[in-house]
Amino acid sequence: MEDKEFNLEQMEKETEEMLKINILNPAEAKFFRTKGGFAGLKVKEEEYPRVQVVRMFPFTDPEHYISIRTVEERSKEIGIIEDMSKIDAETRALLLEQLNLRYFTPVITKIINIKDLHGFAYFDVLTDRGECRFTIHMGGGAVVHLSETRVIITDLDENRFEIPDIMKLSANERKKLDLFL
Amino acid sequence: MKEVKIPKKIEKLIRENGEADEEIIASSASDMNVACEYADGYVVLTSKALYVFASESDSKQVHLFKGAIVKKDEDTEDDKEWHVRRFPADDYKKLTIEPQVACSLLVITDNEDVERTLTVFSNLHRKSMFKLSREFAHLPGKEEKGEGPGGPGRGFGGPHGHGRGGDGEGEDYCPKCGRMYPNPERKVCPHCIDRKTIFTRTLKYFGPYKIRIVALIIMYTLVAALNLVWPYLNGTVLYDYVLKKNLEFLPNIGLRNANIMTALLLVIITMFAAKLVQQLLNILQGATTAKIVADVVCDMKKSIFDSMGKLSISFFKNRQTGSLMTRVLNDADRVTSFFIDDVPYIFIHSITLVTTVLVMVRINWQMALASMFLLPISFIFSFKFRPKFWNAFGRRHRAERSVNNQVNDNLTGARVVKAFGQEKKEEHRFSSANTRLKDTEMSIVRLDNIFSAIFQLTHNAAGIIIWCMGAFFILNKGTMALGILVTFIGYTNQLDGPMRFMSRVFRSWSDSMNAAQRMFEIIDAVPEILEDENPVPLDNPKGDIELRNVTFGYEINRPVLKNVSLNIPAGSMLGIVGRSGAGKTTLVNLISRMYDPNEGQILFDGIDIKHISFHDLRRNVAMVSQETYIFMGTIEENIAYANPNAAKAEIIRAAKLASAHDFILRMPDGYNTVVGSSGRQLSGGERQRISIARAILADPKILILDEATASVDTETERAIQASINYLIKGRTTIYIAHRLSTLRDADFLCVIDNGEITERGTHAELEALRGTYYKLMELQTKALALKE
Ligand SMILES: Nc1ncnc2c1ncn2[C@@H]1O[C@H](COP(=O)(O)OP(=O)(O)OP(=O)(O)O)[C@@H](O)[C@H]1O
Ligand SMILES: [Mg+2]
Repeated sequence: MEDKEFNLEQMEKETEEMLKINILNPAEAKFFRTKGGFAGLKVKEEEYPRVQVVRMFPFTDPEHYISIRTVEERSKEIGIIEDMSKIDAETRALLLEQLNLRYFTPVITKIINIKDLHGFAYFDVLTDRGECRFTIHMGGGAVVHLSETRVIITDLDENRFEIPDIMKLSANERKKLDLFL
Repeated sequence: MKEVKIPKKIEKLIRENGEADEEIIASSASDMNVACEYADGYVVLTSKALYVFASESDSKQVHLFKGAIVKKDEDTEDDKEWHVRRFPADDYKKLTIEPQVACSLLVITDNEDVERTLTVFSNLHRKSMFKLSREFAHLPGKEEKGEGPGGPGRGFGGPHGHGRGGDGEGEDYCPKCGRMYPNPERKVCPHCIDRKTIFTRTLKYFGPYKIRIVALIIMYTLVAALNLVWPYLNGTVLYDYVLKKNLEFLPNIGLRNANIMTALLLVIITMFAAKLVQQLLNILQGATTAKIVADVVCDMKKSIFDSMGKLSISFFKNRQTGSLMTRVLNDADRVTSFFIDDVPYIFIHSITLVTTVLVMVRINWQMALASMFLLPISFIFSFKFRPKFWNAFGRRHRAERSVNNQVNDNLTGARVVKAFGQEKKEEHRFSSANTRLKDTEMSIVRLDNIFSAIFQLTHNAAGIIIWCMGAFFILNKGTMALGILVTFIGYTNQLDGPMRFMSRVFRSWSDSMNAAQRMFEIIDAVPEILEDENPVPLDNPKGDIELRNVTFGYEINRPVLKNVSLNIPAGSMLGIVGRSGAGKTTLVNLISRMYDPNEGQILFDGIDIKHISFHDLRRNVAMVSQETYIFMGTIEENIAYANPNAAKAEIIRAAKLASAHDFILRMPDGYNTVVGSSGRQLSGGERQRISIARAILADPKILILDEATASVDTETERAIQASINYLIKGRTTIYIAHRLSTLRDADFLCVIDNGEITERGTHAELEALRGTYYKLMELQTKALALKE
């Protein structure tokens, strides 16, 4: 908005830019760690002091199509990383750190108890981050099936918990979960 | 704002680390560290600095979320090692919350623009953290600095104070068990809920039909009595007395000198009469039952539907239509079936059971024992199977729900399905949902079969044993007459019904209670938007609207409107422009109180709209929304929806003002044309014009038009424009439009971007500002110019 004069050509250029799919070339895109521990990016002559790292398919393809975006709320895409395995280890570690924060979701490893009371279900589960007790609404969309065996559970505050594979739970635990499957 | 509750130890640490006159302003707990592990922490804001307390992550600690948290009486954290960091407020310019997918970061920015993550927290602490970050922005000297993009206390602080007494989190616990209420709006703890159980509550629905139910019970008792007499007539009397020509019993029934044929005739007539009466009673019973069921089901459906009507929009957002349909349509039937088909029989069968057993014991106690010992087995089985049935019924409900959803989805989206030729795919989706439903039905049948088998087995076994014993008594000891054996077998058969019933009663109970529970979930649901019990009356309102520091989001982590303040004087017209998704519709939804703001207030003539009755509010605020909805009915009914008593002339005038009159008359049935889902389809623009007419007829003080003319052609829009100019006299109008030309009559305009008001002023002022508005305007005029 620096240029206050209205400029149709510039707008058209912006639009064109918006439509382009810009795959980041690992040789050109240099990620760095900011002083405060975030990720920054330098592409050719352009430098972004901080960028946002976003998965396009967080559930179905978390390792591919990573969008690198500017940080403002109405963020713009700087470019796309097609494959996380094709970038160097250091960068990958930096980006993964950002992704892990962004998609933080405890994974449920064991179901200790589920109690169904008057429209709420009280969960007591073991996750990879320790034991958690949380509550969900029954009858709403609190339990979402991503596939036949994969489930995301959202609590009253919209905190998330994941069961990556129901079949890995014991028959007894599945029975407790039966109500939601 | 002293609702801050922090452990004493933390407070002590602040005193030790800080300056003497530091005053604690706000605080929040946090529950994670930067490495994404759960770890307790606190963030405290004082008048001089921000403190961050962190503890080691403890893998053995149980993490409690809303609904599970138990209120602590003492400071249990006193043994924790706290790692303290102090951030002097003067060295930092901004404290922001960065929402992630399911948690948030608290980020501080220093005066050199270096951003650091202080701590991470789950959504549980979101509210207090937001408060804290806002308090930070309000520290002296921060107001202007914190205005950059991304700041939480952003921009339009407006002239009003930020003070709203915080709703302290301390109140949200159940006083009995100390658990946090799962829904703080509705102070009911599911663990300690007044145990007016589902059963007795359901029973209430039968209350109005007491007389019929009493009649029913009398009939049942009569049938039971007849059942009791039957084996006696059929066995002892017929075989042992009449057929054996034993006439001693005749004097007992008042026939002194009758011969055997009369006796036989008498017995046969009695038997016949008994059967006849029984049949008649059965018919009568059936009719009464049917009538009670129909009435009760009807009442239940009505009460579910009524409750749904009272619920707020957000309730429907969270539930699928299919699920709600299942509840209204099927659940009421299921609930009643138990009460009608089973509850009376508990009574009847118990009587039959006890009396029959007594009679049997009197005839021959050994045989009675033999016929009874298997009863507990089937009973226990039935009891044990209860949870299995409960789950099976729950599963069936969910399968039904997904079938209903699928059908609903396809019917509403029929056009899209056809347009993209995806019928096959939809068939497949439907058939998989349908198969699931079939599977659940099958599993119930399977359970049923296991049940019948067990029951039959015990029953047959008992039968054989009794025959054997009877034969033994007759042949060997001669202690029993054949007639007595026949009577006895008759009584054993009498037991059949009660036994079968007892073995099935838990199944029906599960089915019914499972459905009842879902029914009450809706009936009990408390609308999120509550009407004030003692509303402030609105007599002759002026129509001033004011928004004070309104913050609102549909989802916890994503505020859609951020600290919006706005004043619309009575009688003026405000135009709102902004990008798609900026929050324009959300803003007007708040004004018509479809949702309540998370923070801040909306005032109508200086009265918080929360204190205005729904009736007054709806009468004074009318909205033509972006998504028009036409109800089933005639055009006339649709226009007069809010005002069914409107005179014909008024309806016509409203239609004329909305430029709808002419197209209505082009239809063969004029104003009586049936439109909506079962009638004639209207075009998008036609629907919009009917909606406008509907709002005009409501004659509100405040008229909200949300893209109301987006689907009509420019010429019609001009016409509507003219009538709107006429309409807005004497009312406050809020007009949302993308086409700026629509807004040229607005008294003033505002631009909403990203949930904030970024520009405001008159048309000329905004043009001079050369900001977004100017850009949009240029774009639209130039785009038009290019075409020509
Ligand atoms: N019921 C809802 N639940 C969740 N999010 C919603 C809901 N309604 C709207 N939103 C989100 O809120 C934001 C603002 O929506 P809103 O409808 O207010 O936009 P708008 O300014 O009216 O846009 P448009 O010009 O396209 O009508 C959008 O990002 C939208 O995705
Ligand atoms: Mg809108």
